[in-house]
Amino acid sequence: MNAPNPDTLKLAKDFSRPVITFAIARADGSETAYLGCSDFKVYAADFAAARFEPKELYAHESYVTGVALAGTTLVSGGYDGKLTWYDTAEKKVICTQDAHAKWIRKVIASPDGTTVASVADDMVCKLWDAKTGQLTRELKGHKEKTPNEFTSMLYAVAYSADGKLLATGDKVGHVVVWDAQTGKQLGTCEAPVMYTWDKVQRLHSIGGVRSLAFSPDGKSLAAGGMGKVGNIDHLEGKARVEVFDWKTGKQTAEFPGDKFSGLVNRLAWAPDGSWLVGAGGAGEGFLCFFDAANKKTLRQEKVAMHVHDFAITAAADQITCVGHNRITVHRLG
Amino acid sequence: MARKTFCGSLAHAMDRRAFLGGAAAAGATLAADMTALNALAAPDVNKSLKKAQKRVILLWLAGGASQLETWDPKPGAPTGGPFRSIQTDVPGLRISELMPKMATRMKTTCVIRGLNTKNGDHGSAAETIMRGRRDEAALRYPDLGAVVAREMGLPDSKVPDYVTFYTQTEGRGMAPGNAGFLGARYAPMELTTNNYPEHIKRLDGITDRDHIERGQLRDLLGKQFAQGRSSETMNSQTEAYQRVRGIMASEKLFDVSQEPQKVRDRYGPTQFAEQVLIARRLVEAGVPFVRVGRAWWDSHGQNFETHQEMVPELDHVMATLIDDLFERGMLDDVMVLTLSEFGRTPAINASLGRDHFASAWSSTITGCGIKRGSVYGKTDPKGNTVTAEEVDAGSLFATIYSALGLDPNKNYYVGSRPIPLVNPGVEPIKALVG
Repeated sequence: MNAPNPDTLKLAKDFSRPVITFAIARADGSETAYLGCSDFKVYAADFAAARFEPKELYAHESYVTGVALAGTTLVSGGYDGKLTWYDTAEKKVICTQDAHAKWIRKVIASPDGTTVASVADDMVCKLWDAKTGQLTRELKGHKEKTPNEFTSMLYAVAYSADGKLLATGDKVGHVVVWDAQTGKQLGTCEAPVMYTWDKVQRLHSIGGVRSLAFSPDGKSLAAGGMGKVGNIDHLEGKARVEVFDWKTGKQTAEFPGDKFSGLVNRLAWAPDGSWLVGAGGAGEGFLCFFDAANKKTLRQEKVAMHVHDFAITAAADQITCVGHNRITVHRLG
Repeated sequence: MARKTFCGSLAHAMDRRAFLGGAAAAGATLAADMTALNALAAPDVNKSLKKAQKRVILLWLAGGASQLETWDPKPGAPTGGPFRSIQTDVPGLRISELMPKMATRMKTTCVIRGLNTKNGDHGSAAETIMRGRRDEAALRYPDLGAVVAREMGLPDSKVPDYVTFYTQTEGRGMAPGNAGFLGARYAPMELTTNNYPEHIKRLDGITDRDHIERGQLRDLLGKQFAQGRSSETMNSQTEAYQRVRGIMASEKLFDVSQEPQKVRDRYGPTQFAEQVLIARRLVEAGVPFVRVGRAWWDSHGQNFETHQEMVPELDHVMATLIDDLFERGMLDDVMVLTLSEFGRTPAINASLGRDHFASAWSSTITGCGIKRGSVYGKTDPKGNTVTAEEVDAGSLFATIYSALGLDPNKNYYVGSRPIPLVNPGVEPIKALVG
C-alpha cells in the first residue's frame, strides 16, 4: 500500500480548548478519541459530533501525559505516577496502580493490545498486562542521574510494528532497544546532540529524546528531540530527528531542522516506510515530513499550537494533533 | 563630594564599642598571619562573636525561581502546574512536593508569600531586590551585603566582610555586588570563575619574609606620605593594605577539601552545594555576609522540568545548611535568605514555561531574630495577586535589618545628607521580628 503524499496535507478541523492536551489515543476508523489533559482529567472526544465537546471520564492527581488503547481498554498515566485502567465499553474505571515513583511520561499499547508499556522519571520502563493491570516486567537500562549529578528523565517509548521490539529514550540522549518478550537489551543508540547541559551560563539542562518510532520493517529507529540550545531559558533549539540502524547503533540519517524550533514530541512512519512524520513545537508548533532513505526533508508545516502528541491512522491518511489549547485534524491524500 | 560613612551617632558608637569590648580578648589573639583563622574558630572566640555579630548567607536564585513550584503552590488550579503540595511541620503550611526536606524544617523558617515588587525586568529588579530600593539619579545605594559588611564587619578583621559566589555568567551582570555610596571598602570579594579566590596566595617567587618586609616598607612609605595629608581614598587604600595578610590567611576557608568527607557528602557534589558549604565555613570564621548565586531559574520554556531539576537541589542544600548551622549552634546568629529578582507568572505559556512576574511571589528568611515557622502574606487561588499582608522590597529589607538587630532608620551620611538604611517611612513587618 502506497502512503499518501505529504504534499496533500490539509487542515480539516481545528478546535480550541481551555486546557493543554498532552496525549491522545484514537482507534483506527473511530471518531472517538481519548485525551489526557493539564486539568488532570481524561476525556472522550467525539470528532463526528456537531459540536466538539469532549466529555470528562475520570481524573488523575496531576497532568495526564499518556493514554493508550488496548482493544476496549484505555490506560492512562500521569505525573502523579499512577496508571488507571478504564473500560471504554462499560464506561467505568477498572483499577488504578501506583505504577511509578516519579512522573509518567508516556503510555503505549503493544500492537496486539495485550501489553501496555509505561515510562517514567524513575528511569524504569514497566510492562503491564493490558487486561488485568498486573505488572509483568521492569526494564532498567537508564541512569537515574545525568553526568552532572542531576536527576535524569525517561521520556520516550515505542513498540515495533510486530510488537517484538521496544525502545526507550532518556534525557541525555541514550536510547535502549529491548526484546519486548524477554526484557533483554538488544542494542543502544546515542543522540547526545539532543541534550544540552549549559555549564557556563546557566548550570542546568534541557532537551532529551522525546519521541521514538521504529520503521515498519523494524530495522530503523527514529528519535526526536531538539538540537543544541544556546539560550536554554527557551525551547530555542532546532527541532531535530535522527535515524539509527539500531542493531549497530549507527546513525543513518539526521534532520537537524531549519525552519522550526522546539521539541519533536511524536514520531510515526508511513506504513510503507516512504516517509517519517514528526510533530512538536515551542511557542508554535509544526508537522514535518522526512524521507529517511534519501535523507530529505519533504515538507514542514506550521500548526497553530505546540503539538504534544498525535494519533495517525493505519493508512496514514489522517493525523489528529493535540497540544497547547488546541486540537487539529489534518488529512492526507 | 566628600563622603561620610560613619554616622557619628551615639547608638552607632555604642554598638561598635560594645562589640569591640566583647571581642577584645579575641582580638588580642588574632595575629595577622595564618594562625588567625584557627583562633577565630576557637570556642571562646566564636562565643564572643556570636553575642555581638550576626551574619547572613543569601541564596540568590538568579533569574527568578517560581513561587508556585517552591513556597506557594496552587495544586489543582489552572495555573498550578503539575506538582502537588505537601504538608510541612508547621500546621496548615504546605509547600511544593519538590521540597520534602524543607517541609520537615519549616519550623525553622519564615515564608513571605506576599511580595509585590512591581518590577519584572531582570536588571533593575535584581538591583531593587539587592538594595531594597531603586537608585536615585545621583545616588547609588549599597546592597544588602555591603550594608551588613559595614555594620557587622570588624575593622581589624582577618577575613573578608562580603563574599559573593556567582559562577554562572547568566545574570551576573544584572546583580553585581555593589557597595554604592559606602565605597569600595565594602564591595564584595567576587568569585566568578571557581570557588577559590584568584590572586589570594603569595607569589611563589617571594618568601613569606619578603612579603612581610615589603608590607613594612609600603607601610613606612605610606605613613611618610600621609604626614600632613588627609584623604578618604588614601585611608581606604591604607586600610586595604593593612588587611592583606589577614585576607591571605583566609585562603583555607575557600578550600572545601578542608572539610571532612562526610560533611562534603552531606551537602552533596554539586557546585551550589560546595559553595554553600564554603559559605558556612566563611560565616563560621566571622565573614558577615556571603551570597551564593545559583543560576539560572529563568524558565520561559519547560518551567516544570527546570524546577524538577533545580528545586530538589535547593531543597537538599538549604535543608543541609540549616541542619548544619543548627547543630553548630549558629542558627540564632546566621540568617539564611532565599531571594530572586522576582517570581514567575501563574500563566503557563505555550512552551510549558512561566514568564517574569513580580506581583505576587515568595521568599524565605531563616534564623536570627525572625519568627520561625511563620507565613506572611496570602495570594489568590490562582496566584495572580496578593490578597493580604503585601510586602515590598523596602519593608522586606527593613524586616531583615531589624531581625539582624539593626535599626532600619539609622542614617548614613553622604555629605550632609542623611540616608537611612531604608527609605523614610518604610517599616519592618512587626509580626515577623521577635
